[in-house]
Amino acid sequence: MGIPLLSLIIFTPVAGAAVLMFLRSDDAVRWTALIVTVLDLALSIVLLAGFDTTTHEMQFTEKVPWVPALGITYALGVDGISALFVFLTALLGAVSVLASWVAIERKVTAFMASLLAMQALMLGVFLSLDLFLFYVFWEAMLIPMYLIIGVWGGEGRVYAAFKFFLYTLAGSLLFLVGVIVLYFQGGETFDILALTAQDLPFRIQSWLFFAFLIAFAVKVPMVPVHTWLPDAHVQAPTAGSIILAGVLLKMGAYGFLRFSLPMLPEASVYFSPLMLALSALAIVYGGLLALAQDDLKKLVAYSSISHMGFVTMGIFALNIRGLEGGILQMFNHGVTTGALFLFVGLIYERTHTRSIADYGGLMKVAPVYTVFLALFTLSSMALPGTNSFVGELLVLSGGFAANLAVGAAAVLGATLGAAYLLGMYRRVALGPASVGARSKIRDVNAREMVAILPLAVFVLWVGLYPKPFLAIIDASVTHLLTEVHGRESGQ
Amino acid sequence: MTDAALLQSIIASLPEIVVVTGACILLILGQLVRKGQEHFFVSASVAIVLIAALATLLLANEVRPAYSGMFIADRFAVFFKLVFYLATVLTFLLSRKYADIEGIASSEYYVLLLFALFGMMIMASATDLLSIYVGLELMVLCTYVLTGFMRREQRSNEAALKYVILGAVSTGIFLYGVSLVYGLTGTTQLDAMAQAVTGAPLDPGLLLAVVFIVAGLVFKVGAVPFHMWLPDVYEGAPTTITAFMSVGPKAAGFAVILRVFLNPLVAASDAWIIVAVIAVVTMALGSFVALVQDNFKRLLAYSSIAHAGFAIFGVVAGGQDGIASVMLYMLIYAFMNLGIFGAVIMMRNGDFSGEVIDDYAGFAKSHPGLALLMLLYLFSLAGIPPTAGFFAKFYVLVALVERGFVMLAVIAVLLSAVAAYFYIRIVMVIYMREPERAFEPALTPMVRATLAFTALGTIGIGLFPAWFLGLAQQSASGG
Repeated sequence: MGIPLLSLIIFTPVAGAAVLMFLRSDDAVRWTALIVTVLDLALSIVLLAGFDTTTHEMQFTEKVPWVPALGITYALGVDGISALFVFLTALLGAVSVLASWVAIERKVTAFMASLLAMQALMLGVFLSLDLFLFYVFWEAMLIPMYLIIGVWGGEGRVYAAFKFFLYTLAGSLLFLVGVIVLYFQGGETFDILALTAQDLPFRIQSWLFFAFLIAFAVKVPMVPVHTWLPDAHVQAPTAGSIILAGVLLKMGAYGFLRFSLPMLPEASVYFSPLMLALSALAIVYGGLLALAQDDLKKLVAYSSISHMGFVTMGIFALNIRGLEGGILQMFNHGVTTGALFLFVGLIYERTHTRSIADYGGLMKVAPVYTVFLALFTLSSMALPGTNSFVGELLVLSGGFAANLAVGAAAVLGATLGAAYLLGMYRRVALGPASVGARSKIRDVNAREMVAILPLAVFVLWVGLYPKPFLAIIDASVTHLLTEVHGRESGQ
Repeated sequence: MTDAALLQSIIASLPEIVVVTGACILLILGQLVRKGQEHFFVSASVAIVLIAALATLLLANEVRPAYSGMFIADRFAVFFKLVFYLATVLTFLLSRKYADIEGIASSEYYVLLLFALFGMMIMASATDLLSIYVGLELMVLCTYVLTGFMRREQRSNEAALKYVILGAVSTGIFLYGVSLVYGLTGTTQLDAMAQAVTGAPLDPGLLLAVVFIVAGLVFKVGAVPFHMWLPDVYEGAPTTITAFMSVGPKAAGFAVILRVFLNPLVAASDAWIIVAVIAVVTMALGSFVALVQDNFKRLLAYSSIAHAGFAIFGVVAGGQDGIASVMLYMLIYAFMNLGIFGAVIMMRNGDFSGEVIDDYAGFAKSHPGLALLMLLYLFSLAGIPPTAGFFAKFYVLVALVERGFVMLAVIAVLLSAVAAYFYIRIVMVIYMREPERAFEPALTPMVRATLAFTALGTIGIGLFPAWFLGLAQQSASGG
């Protein structure tokens, strides 16, 4: 066995967090956190470089017994789906550190340590091949995220942190019972691959589907369990929002891909109309809510609900275009919405207001800022040439193939997206400069550019040449579909 | 009893003999040692417990029945005794400074704790309803006195009085059940009872007896509907004693419950539904009432009721995994609960009580390290991974689902989400509020050692549960 690359990826941030405890100056803490996250990013690039895109098999696997009496192992591995998210997590990890450079002034050590812990746990979720291990990572994330929102958040942070914590916990605990039921049904193992190979009776599949659905739907979040999200987003510090939108929301969708679809194929097919309907509801409802917002952060938060609707729609279209689009859209949403939260944070640091009405004419005082904002806004509304166009197009074509009405609802949602995003951009960047805002606003500085540029690169790269990204997930998605439909039609 | 049998019995009960002899010697020495030498009692008491622990471990390999079937030294008993030792030693370490501050530093304090330990050890090893009763009474008599140890405080006196009266009633109920069992089966030995109750349709009188015995035992672990004493007693007792009672006697109660239920009374499983209802109601009551508490000790009292409820779910599950899950739960609970109590005890300094949750406002700002420890204990109590508390709950759920009680498992997790709320609320006070006043916790090296040790257990068992799980599973089957 060579170098355990995956463990290295998970534990580099943990080691980094431990080192932070011994540093005295805040600047040293910041630099160390940055170095650690960049190192982790480099490791994830090593992973992608060594990744074999021709197979759906798990790669770089590691397996060590953990609690043998219960069949629990410390098992890690990546396939195309997780590889993409490992990279996304590492990328946004570094961006988050940069985004908190000056925004976090008190208890910097604790903040950066929480951020690094968060990153390790998120990576662990994407890399686990053991359900118990997965659950430990999945649930342990609550602790640092609770602190990030609750300690360093805005005015209503305590309420928001509570709400986030309890919603997620309640959802996850049912998932835990589901996991244990699955353990006994699937021959007393927590091995994800072994469980995937099991054929469970339909009745049990449907119960488990709902147990899992609750946990994943809360994380995505799907309407009607989405209400924690705007609160959490608005109160969280910028880095917290970036991680929430960029990675945390992906975990629910990832759960569908890793557990619901392959382990419960018949139930997934059977309940896919329900899931499509919920997705369409999220797209339209989220869009309408976003349209009504005056708070910049809330607008982006509600747009997330709408965009994640596209993701779940793509997944439950259960065809190749839908699935690939859904997964690509997860990545895109992470990049684009992460960037939008970063932009909201940048301007909030300067003006201490998030009300759109307080802005206007930023184009004149901060041209660079507004140019990049334009790029990400256009990406968010899926303009051709940007990343989301590719993803959304795939999702829509998959969605239409699955159900005409749902596809139509999604198109309506996309139109709504154009409306609120363009409206937001017009009111923030164009028109006469507002007096209060203009005096304080500096354009983006070099450090901020470093955080923005990689995200901008991915917007255009995926938009203009999506092939390498689709190539990463292709084999895994194809395999996943044969798992679902092959077994389903074979019954 | 022949000499050989007597010798065997003495060997089997060597740890108990060590503890009771040591306690008696300390009792005498207590009259001789001058004031200001209390340090001696802590070291001596800890030494006694450690010798007993050594003896226990030396005897652990073999099953030794003793005293004509009244008593047994088996791995099940060894496991629980280790939990008791843990609770007692940590209580000693936490007590020294606290006892000084509260003005209760006297040798009797330590002697009574040792006698209580002796009682608990008998309970863990007892295989006869009468020896169970003897152990039980010895334990509770000591805790009655310890509860009222702060003589000048009205609250302490009230608590002790309440405890004595209710405890006496519950003992009476228990004894009544025992007498019914004796009348119906002609024996009080658990094994003989098991034979008497298997096979034939269950005698309704026996069912009644079961209910009485259950009621008596359930009182000791503080389960609904016999929980009323618990918050008042926990609040009124010296905090160190509260810490002790929440772990030691509770574990002892579960030791007896497991022995009585899962062997002889397994046939009386018509009564099973009662236990399931008790588990649900106990957890619900503990969790919901804890939500509105402002006093930290009261909150922990209700939290301990809720935890007892969760552990009873393991009893409901039954079977080897069910028994092992309760045992593991008690061990893990000992670590995390003594940890959080250690933090509360350390806050008692000068005119600072540390009993009101608001006292902890901004604690993270003034004492980041200690705050992190409290965070660990609280998240563990809430059952969030990767702490040990998560694994304790997980294994109970595994046992439940294994037996097909999926609905109960769902109820259990939903109620633990409710319970999580009040632990997280304390974290909120510690981390997210501004400090109201400056304070200096009473941090002696002993308290530090206790906190470090419990933290190690809380995170260590969470990360590497395999060995502890194996230990619990072996001990559960080791009868």
